[in-house]
Amino acid sequence: MDATRYADGRAAITRNATVEFAADRLTFSVGEAHHAWTCADLRRADDGAGRVILKRKPDTGERLYLSEADGDRLKLAAPALFGPRAYGVEGRATVLGVAGAAWSLAAVFLLGVPLAAAPIAERMPTRIRTQISDISWSQVELFADYCDDSDEAAHILNDVAYRMMAASDVAMRDDIWITIVDAPFPNAFALPDNSILVTDDLIAMSEHPDELTGVIAHEIAHIEHNHVMKNIVRSVGAGVFFDVVVGGAGAGQMVAIASVNLAGLRYSRGDETDADERGLDYLDAAGVDAAGLARLFERFQVEAQAQAGDAGEIPTMLSSHPATAERAAAARARARTGLSPSMTDAEWQVVRRACGSALLHQEEPAPVAPAAPDTPQAPPIQGAKPEQLEGGAKPGAATPAGHGAAGED
Amino acid sequence: MTVEAAPTNSFTHSGKFFNVLGLALKNAALTVLTLTLYRFWARTAMRRRLWSRASAMGDPLEYTGSALELFRGFLIALPTFFLPAMFVFYVAPLVMDPVTAFWLAAGFYLVAVPLMAAARYLMRRYQLARTRWRGIRFGLAGGAASFAWASFGWTILQTLSLGWYTPVARMNRAKMIWENTRFGDQPFEFIDDGEPLAKGLWGPFALGWFAAPIAYFGAFIIMFMIAAMLFGTGALPVSEQIPPEYGVVVVVAAIALVLVLMVLLWAPYNAAAMNRIASLISIDGARFKLRAKTFSLFFVSLAGWLITIFSLGLLAPMAGFLQVRYVLNRLEIVGTPKFAEIGQSIMDEGRAGEGLGDAFDLDMGVGVV
Ligand SMILES: [Zn+2]
Repeated sequence: MDATRYADGRAAITRNATVEFAADRLTFSVGEAHHAWTCADLRRADDGAGRVILKRKPDTGERLYLSEADGDRLKLAAPALFGPRAYGVEGRATVLGVAGAAWSLAAVFLLGVPLAAAPIAERMPTRIRTQISDISWSQVELFADYCDDSDEAAHILNDVAYRMMAASDVAMRDDIWITIVDAPFPNAFALPDNSILVTDDLIAMSEHPDELTGVIAHEIAHIEHNHVMKNIVRSVGAGVFFDVVVGGAGAGQMVAIASVNLAGLRYSRGDETDADERGLDYLDAAGVDAAGLARLFERFQVEAQAQAGDAGEIPTMLSSHPATAERAAAARARARTGLSPSMTDAEWQVVRRACGSALLHQEEPAPVAPAAPDTPQAPPIQGAKPEQLEGGAKPGAATPAGHGAAGED
Repeated sequence: MTVEAAPTNSFTHSGKFFNVLGLALKNAALTVLTLTLYRFWARTAMRRRLWSRASAMGDPLEYTGSALELFRGFLIALPTFFLPAMFVFYVAPLVMDPVTAFWLAAGFYLVAVPLMAAARYLMRRYQLARTRWRGIRFGLAGGAASFAWASFGWTILQTLSLGWYTPVARMNRAKMIWENTRFGDQPFEFIDDGEPLAKGLWGPFALGWFAAPIAYFGAFIIMFMIAAMLFGTGALPVSEQIPPEYGVVVVVAAIALVLVLMVLLWAPYNAAAMNRIASLISIDGARFKLRAKTFSLFFVSLAGWLITIFSLGLLAPMAGFLQVRYVLNRLEIVGTPKFAEIGQSIMDEGRAGEGLGDAFDLDMGVGVV
């Protein structure tokens, strides 16, 4: 059985062959026929599975199955045929090139998309912006109800907001409109159509008008700086990148998505800090005491800690909480004394009664479901995650359908 | 003098578990490091390894495909499939009204079903065109489109029949593929043995169909009962050290049990279908005989699933390897084709790899039967 055999590439049989090895060529005879192959044109066809099998390049279909003894003789005569390249596998350089290309592409997307997000977001046509807003609203309706009795309260909040915006000369102040909604968590968020939603639970959690005003200022800043659109552009960009480059490739995809989520989180925090600073500017300009916002931040922090104690370990890095103490401190640093409240007592009472917020508050001193800033546990919706005074971690940023339907934040 | 086949042990797979595992681990590491772009090289290297260990009548198979071909196929699929997909899933929801966007996505899924069948066919064509034995190429004739539409029709029948058409659909697909398979210039045949195609499959299929849902719910009930016994009746000290996540543990255990039961309950059907398909394949008058058995197939399949799941899919090729080795080591040829009269294939080799097969992640190893 261990004879050197030759298959001619024209029929599926092998014939015994006698091989002679020379320095740069091997000659063999099969019956009456004689063949001469140049070693430089040979490749291995055996992939190291045992017996050495030779083929020619370009492939003629011919195969030479060497006996063990002939294989040993070939190893002496043509050692090059036993190097890794003899199998016709692409070289290390190709693989390194592909790896380099992959990482370059990733760099372009991870660095380029965030940079391009602002210009793209600013040039977003009105039609698309309206379209996205419609989607956001339809998602909002899944977790929030309108309150029939909140018109007067909403007018009060809008007046306060307008005064602030006028004092800071906010360009789109005529387009911004605040709506109070009934939702089971304390939150406020900005939508792509320049709406701001304030939940009744947030009102219930506020113990002073300045606290609520501080939150509204923060949300206005998000709108002024177009954070909503930028976030959508970033999410879509990251999603497209990973779906295209990674294709349908399984676990590598998850690894990659996780890294993008962390990056997305960092950008969101950048936006948060930005919105915090700008919001404090509004308060300053309008003569509202920033201590209110500081107190609300501190209260959120306490709630978060209480929750963390209950639930065991909330992964602190992902829930983006570490920033809250700093944010409270930043607001505290700009507190001023001797200012009058941003709403009159009568106005504040009206606001407190919107959507039955005060009622809720009286019955349950500790607000129900006190979602701490940014623990996005509230609605089961992606995209329209009601961000809470803070940009959130984005679980599953690559779920196609969920992308950017509403501005996160 | 010609070297012809011995009558038994005509097929073997000599792949060693740890040898293949080593390659799979190296591939997995490089795939992660290259943001998955190494997958074309990984796939090629794994196929070369698996093919070369498979031998028929003493001579090994040879995989001649290259990673660059696969990569080229991916680049071709990029604009033809990925970009439309990107539009449907990312752009349309933002720029179109929701109803239109929804129907667009629904239509896309509908198109994806036959598209996947076509991709599967093209992938098999590519793999066969890159497979040689004694220097002679395999091939797959026939059109991917006709397979795709036929397969789509069978899928609809499977759905309408609540699954009961599945055994016939499986046999139909095998028939269509094997009747188009070539070794050199010699076509394979899928013979009509006078019996119904799905003969012998109904009993095992019925077992799976009826028992699988029962096992599914049973597994959860059992796990919750065990959990109740452990945590509820003082088997463990009831105190705050009971992790609040114990529900998660119960669910994970139940899912694991479901997996084991599913693989076990479907093993008789899978073994029967594989054996039946092999028994109907013929080349030049020679027939095949496969001896897949319920329990051995169960262990091989379960091992494949476990490796795949615990490696988050990174070691999925190991499952393909185990399956292929299992089949080849239990496959016999009855009769001897006249190999001296089987000539080289004249079919086009094709140049562009597998394209959509990569997109849909259809690589299932060799897929012998
Ligand atoms: Zn914010």
